[in-house]
Amino acid sequence: MINFSNVSLIYPTSTKTILEDLSFSIVEGELVLVIGSTGTGKTSLLQLINGLVPHHTGGILAGDITVDGISTKLVRPGELAHLVGIVGQNPAQGFVTDTVEEELAFGMEALNLAPDLMRKRVEEILDLLALAHLRNRAISTLSGGEQQRVAIGSALVMHPKVLVLDEPTSALDPIAAEEVLSILHRLVHDLSLTVVIAEHRLERVIGFADRIIHIAGDGNAKIDLPEIILKEADIAPPIVHLARALGLSDVGLSVRDVRRMTETIRDNGKDIEGALSTLGAEKILAKDLTIKYGSNVILKSLSASVRAGEIVALMGRNGAGKSSLLTALVGLQKPDSGTSHICGTASTDLKGKVRRETVGFIPQEPSDLLYGQSVVGECQQGDKDNQIAPGTTFALLQRIVPSISSGTHPRDLSEGQRLALALAIVLSAQPQVLILDEPTRGLDYQSKALLISLLQNYSKELGRCVLIATHDVELVAELADRVIFLADGEIVADGPTLDILLSSPAFAPQVAKVMSPRRWLTVSDVIAAMEA
Amino acid sequence: MKSLHPLTWWIWSLLIVGAVIATNSAWAAGFAIAVAAISVHQFAEDAPWAKSFWFSLRLGAIILLIRTIVGVLIGVPIPGTKLFTVPILPLPSWIAGIRIGGVVTQERLLSSIHEGLIIIAVICLFGAAVSLTSPHKLLRVTPVVIYEFGVATVIATSALPQLVQSVGRIRRARTLRGDENPSWRSIAIPLLEDSLSRSLELAAAMDSRGYGVSRKRSRYRPIAWRQIDSAVVTSAACALALALVLR
Amino acid sequence: MLKTSDIYRFSRRSQFTLFSVSIFTLAGFTWPFFAADQSSARFAQYFFWIAIPFTFFLLIAQLSDKSLDAKSVALLGMLAALIAALRPLGAGAVGLEPMWFLLILAARVFGSAFGFLLGVLAMLASALLTGGMGPWLSYQLFAAGLIGLLAGASFKNLRGKGELALLVVIAIFSSLSFGLLMDLQFWPWAIGTNTQLSFIPGADLSINLGRFLTFHFLSAMAWDIPRAILTVVLTLTAGPAVLTALRRTKKRAAFLTPIEFIERAKSPEAI
Repeated sequence: MINFSNVSLIYPTSTKTILEDLSFSIVEGELVLVIGSTGTGKTSLLQLINGLVPHHTGGILAGDITVDGISTKLVRPGELAHLVGIVGQNPAQGFVTDTVEEELAFGMEALNLAPDLMRKRVEEILDLLALAHLRNRAISTLSGGEQQRVAIGSALVMHPKVLVLDEPTSALDPIAAEEVLSILHRLVHDLSLTVVIAEHRLERVIGFADRIIHIAGDGNAKIDLPEIILKEADIAPPIVHLARALGLSDVGLSVRDVRRMTETIRDNGKDIEGALSTLGAEKILAKDLTIKYGSNVILKSLSASVRAGEIVALMGRNGAGKSSLLTALVGLQKPDSGTSHICGTASTDLKGKVRRETVGFIPQEPSDLLYGQSVVGECQQGDKDNQIAPGTTFALLQRIVPSISSGTHPRDLSEGQRLALALAIVLSAQPQVLILDEPTRGLDYQSKALLISLLQNYSKELGRCVLIATHDVELVAELADRVIFLADGEIVADGPTLDILLSSPAFAPQVAKVMSPRRWLTVSDVIAAMEA
Repeated sequence: MKSLHPLTWWIWSLLIVGAVIATNSAWAAGFAIAVAAISVHQFAEDAPWAKSFWFSLRLGAIILLIRTIVGVLIGVPIPGTKLFTVPILPLPSWIAGIRIGGVVTQERLLSSIHEGLIIIAVICLFGAAVSLTSPHKLLRVTPVVIYEFGVATVIATSALPQLVQSVGRIRRARTLRGDENPSWRSIAIPLLEDSLSRSLELAAAMDSRGYGVSRKRSRYRPIAWRQIDSAVVTSAACALALALVLR
Repeated sequence: MLKTSDIYRFSRRSQFTLFSVSIFTLAGFTWPFFAADQSSARFAQYFFWIAIPFTFFLLIAQLSDKSLDAKSVALLGMLAALIAALRPLGAGAVGLEPMWFLLILAARVFGSAFGFLLGVLAMLASALLTGGMGPWLSYQLFAAGLIGLLAGASFKNLRGKGELALLVVIAIFSSLSFGLLMDLQFWPWAIGTNTQLSFIPGADLSINLGRFLTFHFLSAMAWDIPRAILTVVLTLTAGPAVLTALRRTKKRAAFLTPIEFIERAKSPEAI
């Protein structure tokens, strides 16, 4: 179905080779996963399949790419729309119209399909993706998972033979991600659709992949069966790290596989007691916090606290009230009743300099915080705002991400670098409390590891506290001491990470699922238990 | 009334405008304004664009006021029944030929009002057409000859609510950085950059979906012209015919 | 050499159509100076109120061609939305319209043809947003398009302080011209036909011109001067940052970027 022969790619404006002499074939009905660190060219590879590269972006291309026998050299991307559907990283930015039904019809109208055919197909897709009840809704009112389904629907409505997706699950909570992936799985197996997915978070996708393409970043790329690629790749989900750490001869791709291989370890290992860390005073305190939006009650009389030295994760479905809680704590939103204090100051009293030095908040889009024209300019502004020695912020940034170059425009940075820049700016004010909203969206494993060590350092060594709202179960397993679980505006669980994560199958990390009923959350837990 | 073709009310109001102009009568104008008001009140959906008529009415009232005041102050005097006198204001000599003030007669006042009403009727009927038609439906019947421009309009109108959301987000982020009163520049620049990069993503998505490939395009759910549309248009056409006959 | 598409540009036919329609629209703006008598003046008013929208529609139909591809359309729509959103921010204060500075800067970066469509679309989007549509709409659209057209027209390679100075001049000229054009179309009907400032059908050009200029002078004080001042201030304070953002986007959009298909892989040094 898709054939790359001796493909090399360079963009005219840079000297870096994106792909070097890449050859592979994807047959019909395969689900292929593309992995690689940020900036290695995953998006370029995906865009080569439908011809966006080089017809839309420009580029110097050697070799040939054919999809179902048609070479992408000879046709424009739009002419391949009936063959290849592509869903970009940020589906919300790819919507032309504002209602679901019109969005689904847009591509077909542009290709001049007959009205009856269009009607039929729209109905099919609405049923296939369970969007029928949303047909007249404005797209901006939909949740992330629903928007993702609409984006996939807009691509599928052309009845393509190939579907290409760029990080489809990065913005979704685990449940919505499962839904999207199972839809894709169904399409592959029922309709023999060929699917190519680029993903960072491999835990969810790895079980579905038939083959993996690993892009190394120096232009080399390998395609092979998942077991073979993951044996040595630096990018791997936790169960693969587990298999490697335990010295298993094969890597398993699913929880079931690894469970079968680790029976003896489970039987012989001991549960570890969580180290009782000395906690300081309460830094964040919320009491009977209620927030209403019109007649909707978002937070119902919620009380919670975070102590110095603690890292607390706030989890829950989208819409449970996590973001509202965070904005109320930081003082951006006045609660309808109840109080919240940070380091003794009422949240609503936090303004200007006091707010900066008390609490650092990284919103879901870190680039909202940035408005400078260059990295170094942004840091200098940070120095000025906080009245500290010039250069401090930049030095801090370089400790987090050594390879960042000072003249880059903040919008040209990768996700991880942008987050690092936002963190540097926020941390240079040395706040007592750090709050982050969904920091690991779009981050690869490397950047995530850096973030984890940074936050651990911040809380343990400096004795400050951290509150993170996140869906990323693996992050929580590695980092958090405590988990607060929100549902429908109320706290349904509040306790040590170990207890909370192990009590729900949907929110258990992979290692825990493998090692159940042993109470281990991460690879290091397992190793530590074995050495004990 | 919701399912009327989007052009129906436009054609209706254009025909009534024609009738008002043909009769050149203030009474006809007033009657037309009343008809427009009743139609809007009865048939307009509860939506943001429904306010357009009342906006037009206010604008028309302001114009009437301006015309009347201008007519009173610097109008060409029309002899007749004297109503009151405005004191004559001396003006610098370089604004020659203008005399503010003088005797105001009933004929002068009525003449201003008469002319003004007709203009107001035109404006209000436009406003009524806007109030009664959903812009989304109007965009769906844009003729194929201006397809590309129509798509640009759809993008612009769909982007507007998202912009409002983005402004809120960016404002919050600025407040977090300690800027209680963010300067408009620190909100506008990130908003601009955000919107521009979104438009590039949008362009790639549109190219992938086949925009621009075929010179002809079809219409997803063509909106049919029904009997009720013809009925509405015919009623206005009768008014026009009547006006032309009675002139 | 194969290249990616260019930003929207006028074809020969489009240029010709624009020119012809402009002449006709010019007549639509200036008929009060040439009307022979009262009844032909009335006729002219209503004739142009119907004919101008119609010809404008034909113009847009011609301009809407395949040069308006995905990249141009997406940029056009998004920038028009931004400009339209700026317009009501003047808080209704007379003449304070922040929208012009963005239109001028965008037209400078993306060219006159793009600027013309941007002016038209932004004005249209703003009218759809506020519901302020009336018989003056096509005059407004045309005038806004003209501003975009002129802003993108000159001294393409100027940068830095010289560019800012040029933009300030364009800002002043555009603000005053837009006011002039709008006044020209308001004049015959907004103040009435029987006043000392109204046009006299059949009178000498100099008399009518004098009256118009007086009328325009009075309105300019209220509208055009504040508009010009605000636009100049915005251009000076935010101009460089906005220009940088727009130029970065133009670069990232990869207009006219080479597309090369080579037979075998070459090393970067050899290319």
